[in-house]
Amino acid sequence: MSTRATLSGIFASVSILVVGWQAGAAVVSAQPSTTGTSTTSSAATSTTSTTSGTSSAASPSTSATKKTPKDGTFNGDSVQTPFGNMQVQIVVAGGKITDVKALQVTDYGGRSVQISNYATPILRSEVLKSQSAQVSTVGGGTYTSEGYLNSVQSAIDKAGL
Amino acid sequence: MRPHVFDTMGTVVSLVLPDRPEGRAVEVARVASVFREFDERYSLYRPESELSRISRGELALTDSSEELRSTYVEALHWRDATGGAFTPHRPDGVIDLNGTVKALAMQAAADVLLDSGVENWCLNVGGDVLFAGFQSDGSAWTVGVVDPADRAAVLFAITPTGTRHAVATSGSAERGEHIWLATAIDRTFVQATVVADDIETADVLATAIIAGGPEALAHIVGHWPVDVLTVGRDGSLTATPGLTAALAGA
Repeated sequence: MSTRATLSGIFASVSILVVGWQAGAAVVSAQPSTTGTSTTSSAATSTTSTTSGTSSAASPSTSATKKTPKDGTFNGDSVQTPFGNMQVQIVVAGGKITDVKALQVTDYGGRSVQISNYATPILRSEVLKSQSAQVSTVGGGTYTSEGYLNSVQSAIDKAGL
Repeated sequence: MRPHVFDTMGTVVSLVLPDRPEGRAVEVARVASVFREFDERYSLYRPESELSRISRGELALTDSSEELRSTYVEALHWRDATGGAFTPHRPDGVIDLNGTVKALAMQAAADVLLDSGVENWCLNVGGDVLFAGFQSDGSAWTVGVVDPADRAAVLFAITPTGTRHAVATSGSAERGEHIWLATAIDRTFVQATVVADDIETADVLATAIIAGGPEALAHIVGHWPVDVLTVGRDGSLTATPGLTAALAGA
């Protein structure tokens, strides 16, 4: 994979994750202003702004060398949103993003708020491995007494696993 | 090992007791009687239940049992805490406590087991799961969750750790769900699984996420110590870091 493709892959991932993170933090309808990015043009949304911030940190995609992206930890720019400032950190290893963290947000009072829990999009392939685990019980699909007869739980109960 | 299986509250209980599976008849009977008591007091499909008598106007709420009133007050607290995404009121005004009563019965059953000195058990009531201790081989309980697109398949499996003992899943397309909203239900998620320390929190919040959509999800994961996985109408998934970490084999 070329450097450019790898990097754009990274940026796509960041965008998706940032969008998901924002959705998780209820920042969905905003058109926030941007701050302090190395690119001077004002971006339309905080997503693109954060992405451009990341690109400057991770050495820009315009360098058309064949080197893989540097491993390391990179912080995106802090971005203003209606809900306070937000900043994202990525960890790159072997040319791939291995971790994305929301570093912090500050609310309007300037108080720092640690984001420790938010729901982000995940791929079905990420849960695939767990499907083959030996399960003790099966939840979900809230079933009635009749529905139970055709449920996975019913099969497990009969098998006496 | 064959679980103890019995009908209650219009659904089915599966109780796994790995230690001395044959010798727990007393405890199983006590657990069954706990569910029977809740069923007889709160089920609206039983015309003679206390809650049915209230719904028909035969019994004033102010004259009802202290247990019923405290259950109702607790459900109202959940309504306020979730901004109305969870509510114990049907659109026609009838008080429906099914959204919390199953979980309360599960917790009462858990108390019976723990008070009886039973340390290892796994209780599944209509797809909501509460457990303690370990399986017979000493390994952690692993909970599968069905795929809403294929009820015969497991979408994912988790091995909750630490204080997480409750796994509740709510869906929008199921009979037997009790998601009452004054406004239209949000259509974003078809299934939400919430892993929490206790089953009432897990159950109520799973319902609230289905009813309230992404806005409720964002509020909930920011305010309660829970792990969540949602399945969207388009099949897309979202998960909190804690849930991803708890995926079996992760």
